[in-house]
Amino acid sequence: MPIGLETKDEHSVVGLEGAIGIAQAAELKQLLVQALQSGFPVRVSLESATELDVTAVELLWAAEREARGSGVEFALKGQVPQGLLTVLAEAGFEKFPIPVEVS
Amino acid sequence: MSSVGNVDQFKQSFREEAREILVDLESALLELNENSGDLDLVGRVFRALHTIKGSGAMFGFDELAAFTHNLENAFDEVRNGRLKVSSDLIDLTLSALDQIRAMIEDGAGGAAAADPAICGAILAKVRLMTGKLESKPAAPKAALPLPEPARGPLHTWEIHFAPAPEMMLNGADPLLLLRELRQLGGLSVKASMAAVPPLAELDPARCYVSWEMVLATDAGREAICDVFIFVEDTCELTIESIEPAVEATAENAAPEGGVTAGEQRTAVEQTAKGLEDPRATSGGRRTYDKADTVSSLRVPAAKLDQFVDLVGELVTVQARLSEIAARFDDAEIASVSEEIERLTSSLRENSMNIRMTPIRATFEKFRRLVHDLARDLGKDVELTIEGAETELDKTVIDQLSDPLMHLIRNSMDHGIETPAKRVAAGKRPTASIHLSARHSGASVLIGVSDDGGGIDADAVRSRAVEKGIVPSDAQLSEEECFALIFQPGFSTAKQVTDVSGRGVGMDVVQQRVDSLRGSIDVASKRGSGTSVTLRLPLTLAIIDGLLVNVGEAYFVLPLANILECIELTSQDITQANGKHMVIVRGEVVPYIRLREHFNIRTPRPEIEQIMVVETEEGRYGFVVDQVLGDCQTVIKNLGRFYRHVQVVSGATILGNGTVALILDPYRLVQDAVRAATPSTRQANVSAGLRSASIPVRERQTQAGVTAKE
Repeated sequence: MPIGLETKDEHSVVGLEGAIGIAQAAELKQLLVQALQSGFPVRVSLESATELDVTAVELLWAAEREARGSGVEFALKGQVPQGLLTVLAEAGFEKFPIPVEVS
Repeated sequence: MSSVGNVDQFKQSFREEAREILVDLESALLELNENSGDLDLVGRVFRALHTIKGSGAMFGFDELAAFTHNLENAFDEVRNGRLKVSSDLIDLTLSALDQIRAMIEDGAGGAAAADPAICGAILAKVRLMTGKLESKPAAPKAALPLPEPARGPLHTWEIHFAPAPEMMLNGADPLLLLRELRQLGGLSVKASMAAVPPLAELDPARCYVSWEMVLATDAGREAICDVFIFVEDTCELTIESIEPAVEATAENAAPEGGVTAGEQRTAVEQTAKGLEDPRATSGGRRTYDKADTVSSLRVPAAKLDQFVDLVGELVTVQARLSEIAARFDDAEIASVSEEIERLTSSLRENSMNIRMTPIRATFEKFRRLVHDLARDLGKDVELTIEGAETELDKTVIDQLSDPLMHLIRNSMDHGIETPAKRVAAGKRPTASIHLSARHSGASVLIGVSDDGGGIDADAVRSRAVEKGIVPSDAQLSEEECFALIFQPGFSTAKQVTDVSGRGVGMDVVQQRVDSLRGSIDVASKRGSGTSVTLRLPLTLAIIDGLLVNVGEAYFVLPLANILECIELTSQDITQANGKHMVIVRGEVVPYIRLREHFNIRTPRPEIEQIMVVETEEGRYGFVVDQVLGDCQTVIKNLGRFYRHVQVVSGATILGNGTVALILDPYRLVQDAVRAATPSTRQANVSAGLRSASIPVRERQTQAGVTAKE
């Protein structure tokens, strides 16, 4: 299951695994909407993600903007794999569009 | 998932583009074989390989990308003067092209898959030539190997790229394009998220991101455009050169003579700082800083067929409207009806024009066939092409490949002599095959001629007698003998070769030309060569016809064939002593009475009409009851059941809903001539063989079928 949503320690955690592309885009959107509506702070885990395509980046970016607008805490959980960061930087997404979790 | 269909569609679009590139690549390679020092041709080959590689990777053809990459490297070596163009390299690349083609088709439409063993062998040879092996096949979406370090003057380009929103849905990935662009030089990229809507409104499959980039490269604008070649029609693309150009000097060159990517990037990033915020994008348009060239739109052939079908329906309905308008004596209705008729006519002509495509691609692909066959047969042959711009209905073009291939194979195997024989006969050692196309009225003439040994009419005749196709005492003219080569199973070859000799090919030519309602002319001179001309209709969809009736039956004759209409009175019939001929301005014109030919049992009117038609047999008249007027005729297929009734080329639905049969004047004449003589093989052959342009075969499939059926 490349995408999942679970509630853990009063956080909604959206976990992405492997290559996330257009085939998962609809599901990712649905889970992000659900997470934002859960009333809990949202965390996105990319630790096990290997690839993100443009649709995934757009969705995370839009979700983060939505969270900011509605006062929901929205941050990354854990580390983003270096390979993924490099690819995203090469694609011009200079700063990854989600703030890192402040512990 | 709904995107699967889109992905397939986009892959299909890639295939279509790639096929065109391959045709061009093949031509360039064959030209390069003749002019091995032509650097423009080397550049053309390199760019084509580069484009196929890059686009292939983008659309998920990873195996193709990796394979092509090795070839591209070989031609890069040629470009840099480190490898010489040799016929071995050309042959190897041509073989590789076949494998690339197989990879592109990927088994689609029953195409053969690429052979890993052959691919391996090709790569091994390329390795031997270039002295190194390039990367093993790239892993999916892995970064493609870095380019050779840049040489020569560097140019800096500012690129704005906003993909079409559907780009991802269509199976393409903009990130792969950026990666491809990075191979050209130092690239600075900035993504703009300005167009991404709020999450609730965001369509998760759409691409809202656009990019501003600065690229420092020694590659020209063309190379940059090539990266976007498969998406340029749908995306917004601006490529602007930023002056001044940076000269790659010894100081800034990398150890291997180029500029390091890092150094380029630094320079580029400095320039990039000056970039404004991304401009708002609307998508669907591309612009360059210079005036753009003529744009064109790629439309799937099926959509075009559907469009033409709809125009056909409209033509039918318009005919109904005209008929109704004629019944009402109302000026307003008549005026609207006339206007619609005029518009429909324009629409029909326009839609027919859209379907017209130049025959160039079909002709060009035979360069390869001639090259390969010449090598296999140990002959020296050059192919010349004339009239490649001649346009034909795409349906006709689609069906021309096979017959032309068989004609060329036949010519190469049987017609053209070995260089030694040619020299002995006082000819130049290099033989010539000439492909030509030109318009002639409502037909197009496709010619295949060679300067070989010509057809041996006596050998053809004896072989035909041997095979029982003609009786041993048959008196056949030279032209009649030539027509025999189109008989099924006929071959004069002493032995069956890979190329020909099975007696299958020429029969295929005849069948295909028959199915296109065309005809074949053969002219040949012993020792000088043979010329085969295919006469084909320009279109198969809608024609201008003349509507006539005989009793209650309606027929349409193609207007292009009709010379004039005259009256046939009982006095004329008496003067001719009942013979089926009439004198028109001093010339005797034989006629065929459709009433008798189709066995229509209604009384004959006092005055009949003769439509005089020009056929290859000379002028013939067709006698009908009335000529009702001209009509735009949508040709409907009669279906398989009537496929052997050759005098009828289709049917059409008239304005009043009645069905009218569309007649084929050439076939009618042929049929009438045959029916007038006793039905023996001898008679059939002698009647049918009046000209080499008339098929003589008495096919089993045709047996027993007469026009009256």
